[in-house]
Amino acid sequence: MHPDASTFERILTRALGAGDYADAFYEYRVVRSFRLQDGRVREGGITISRGVGIRVISGERAGYAYSDDLSEAALLETARVASLIAKGGAARVDAVELPSRAEAVASAYGDAAPHRLVAAPETYVDLLARADVAARAFDPRIASVNASVSEEMQDVAIATSDGRFVTDRRPLVTLGVQCVANGRERGTGFTGDGGRTSIDFFAERTPEAIAREAGRIACVNSEAIETPAGEMEVVVGSGSGGVLLHEAVGHGLEGDFNRQGTSLYSGRVGERVANELVTIFDDGDLPGERGTVGIDDEGTPGEHKVLVERGILRGYMQDRHNAGLMGSRSTGSGRRQSFRVMPQPRMCNTYMPDGASTYDEIVGSVKRGIFATSFAGGQVEISKGDFVFMLAEGYLIEDGKLTAPLRGASLIGNGPDAMNRVTMVGNDGRLAGGSYTCGKGGQYVPVGVGMPTVKLSSVTVGGSAVGG
Amino acid sequence: MAGELDLAREVVAFALEAGATQAEATYAIADRFSTEARGREVSKLEQSVARGVTLRVFDRGAKATLATSDLSRDGLRAFVRETVAAARLLEPDAAGGLPDAGTFAIEAPELPIYAADVRERAAEAKVDDALALERIVRETDERISNSSGSRVADSTTTIALANSFGFGGTYRASQAVASSTPIARDGETKRQGAYGAAARSYATLESIDGIARTAARRAVASIGARKPATMRCPVVFDRDVASLVLSDLFAAASAANVAAGNSFLAERAGERIGSDLVTIVDDGRLPHGLGTAPFDAEGVATRRTVVFERGTFRSFLYDTYYARRLGAASTGNAAGGGIGPTNFYLEPGEATPADLIAATPRGIFVTDTIGFGTESVTGTYSRGARGFAIESGELGSPVDEFTIAGNLLEMLASLDRVANDLVFDQSIVSPTIRIAEMTVSGR
Repeated sequence: MHPDASTFERILTRALGAGDYADAFYEYRVVRSFRLQDGRVREGGITISRGVGIRVISGERAGYAYSDDLSEAALLETARVASLIAKGGAARVDAVELPSRAEAVASAYGDAAPHRLVAAPETYVDLLARADVAARAFDPRIASVNASVSEEMQDVAIATSDGRFVTDRRPLVTLGVQCVANGRERGTGFTGDGGRTSIDFFAERTPEAIAREAGRIACVNSEAIETPAGEMEVVVGSGSGGVLLHEAVGHGLEGDFNRQGTSLYSGRVGERVANELVTIFDDGDLPGERGTVGIDDEGTPGEHKVLVERGILRGYMQDRHNAGLMGSRSTGSGRRQSFRVMPQPRMCNTYMPDGASTYDEIVGSVKRGIFATSFAGGQVEISKGDFVFMLAEGYLIEDGKLTAPLRGASLIGNGPDAMNRVTMVGNDGRLAGGSYTCGKGGQYVPVGVGMPTVKLSSVTVGGSAVGG
Repeated sequence: MAGELDLAREVVAFALEAGATQAEATYAIADRFSTEARGREVSKLEQSVARGVTLRVFDRGAKATLATSDLSRDGLRAFVRETVAAARLLEPDAAGGLPDAGTFAIEAPELPIYAADVRERAAEAKVDDALALERIVRETDERISNSSGSRVADSTTTIALANSFGFGGTYRASQAVASSTPIARDGETKRQGAYGAAARSYATLESIDGIARTAARRAVASIGARKPATMRCPVVFDRDVASLVLSDLFAAASAANVAAGNSFLAERAGERIGSDLVTIVDDGRLPHGLGTAPFDAEGVATRRTVVFERGTFRSFLYDTYYARRLGAASTGNAAGGGIGPTNFYLEPGEATPADLIAATPRGIFVTDTIGFGTESVTGTYSRGARGFAIESGELGSPVDEFTIAGNLLEMLASLDRVANDLVFDQSIVSPTIRIAEMTVSGR
């Protein structure tokens, strides 16, 4: 159970000292997971993260300390250490006051009842066994199957020196299957899915369907040819193609980089940063999605944000600290991996709404290029804006048709440059589902992505085959 | 450290009481400090003690694990019981279980991996170092217009491991890190550079001045960079990016990936794969090494393992479980529930990095890579990169926004130059290397 209001009041009063603002983040997260290898579930685990993190802000400065010991004495000492950043200023005399009871946030988490008990362990083992059978039955080329399932429940309580006291209860389920297929060469395929909901999610989105998808990708990749190198037209597939938005644009619009002026998008709100076909949203309020937050890790409700509208930069994703320094407001984007780290401005579910073209029109318009069905991941350098994506599944496009599958391709480009080269946007947009996790400054948080089919007029494809 | 070991033993006892056939608990306590300076100000100050218990229990060889920061006795007991109950549900595993008696680090030597100065150095002095690093970076070159901050951080960690065979071991280790991320202005473009150093002690950490100058040099180096032409040519990897190539090789040498059918090195032990220059070692006892420890995460004594010897692939890296599965012996590489490197490195050569450039008539010198696109199952390698064109044996104009691609098997075979600049500033390290031919994809 989290500390009560009066304990938080004493901790925050101690923490605030000469600072401008202080907050305390309590977390009790339990993750249960099971893993299958070689057709058997022989490994399971429980991970518990319990503690309180205390932050003190003084201008641009932030002090932080945490404790896994929840005794009041330990928390007061943690508050004192966090307050060291603000020393030198005048100590405040006012005591922090909080409502006597925490406000509980309305559930943003699909069907997961707020007090649901965790599933029986047999449920997880059964899900994995079903995935294994389905993957092996999919194709004789499937040589090995690895699968894992996890279910977590994170209880948080957040108290702030400006009088906010709020709790949230966040479920998260994930099931992932990785297959290796022996075709012309060995190929791998991975598919994961889940969301902020209960394990019942996998009654609809079955482990068999996820496993067959992983098996299909592994078989495709086992027959793949070397990817050509050089600049060419690229079509990015709907759904998980949204990783493109996350890397090429999203990170550059996070508040900390823009407050510090280190992002290439700094100071450019209202300017054209993409072709007018491009609109990008980030939404923390989509029920049950992996990147959804009822409240963020600073107690601000998740919301729908317009990042780019018809090519014009509309705004950044903000946490409280950076928003305060920039004279704007938090967009519910302050997220953190655990009580051991300070929150940062982060994405939630990032996606592009539908355009006017059909899939057939888009692919049919390409004489010779690449179709990127899905990405295994990506990375961006936010100052210049260069990004890289690794294809999980991709094909050559020849005369408007998908032909040979491609092995080991990367795409490299520059954020605004790539967004100016978006020449067609499909009408087939969807969220990818999936099990995407975003890393920033050593902190990992679950996110969602989505996109319709999109054509880029020219991207550098990093294959190994030259010429032809 | 006796108190820490007592808690680990207590957790093992809880697990045996709850019905586990075997149990092993590790109690880790890390004193952590970190500060960041930006511009003329201290921007961050963080200080905490992180405590955590990890437990592995076995039931008929099946394994269940617990990792928790809830160290209340009630919390521990409840979750230990749940962990033991979970193990009962799992299928038996003949390879599972604690390491064999006789493999534990019973008489581990005192290794030089702990320095008192990490904890003793005053917070004010560490803050001053971060401020100085930030100031020197900005003063070094007037084109540096901004930064994402300069950081000084450290940790002192105590590890206590106990298991139901009665083994109990403890050690203490320390680490100090300093890094900076300056940004240079190049017209409308911002160019970021980054450099950092790590050591077991502040006394042996690279100087603040040296770190600042390298970070600044990297930020301004790419001013005016353009996309190179698409071509096949030799590629020289700066030591920091060569270390990332070694990370991919480590993944392929991990027995866990071999067992999962996920390594291009599977079934190649004894095969000649690399050139004569490829000698790769994992050494868990390297003095002052950042991956050095007396025992691994299972209490098994660490050792030196030759992974590649003059091009011939000699050994995978094992923990106990995968060693049993693949009919080998543990190499003392158990880490965090899987297999990890200790000090994994490519043996250096005699030439200087400048000699490697001078020996390259036309090619690319890569100083940075982004992305992580290596398929461990085939060795297919592809990365975004930046660096310099090499023309007539000299560094030419800066290049960026291109990819380098190849296959790790071919890259090892065509590794034809190794420099002498190996520094053990991470767990996986390499000197500067040259690969005779790769695909550069740009314009």
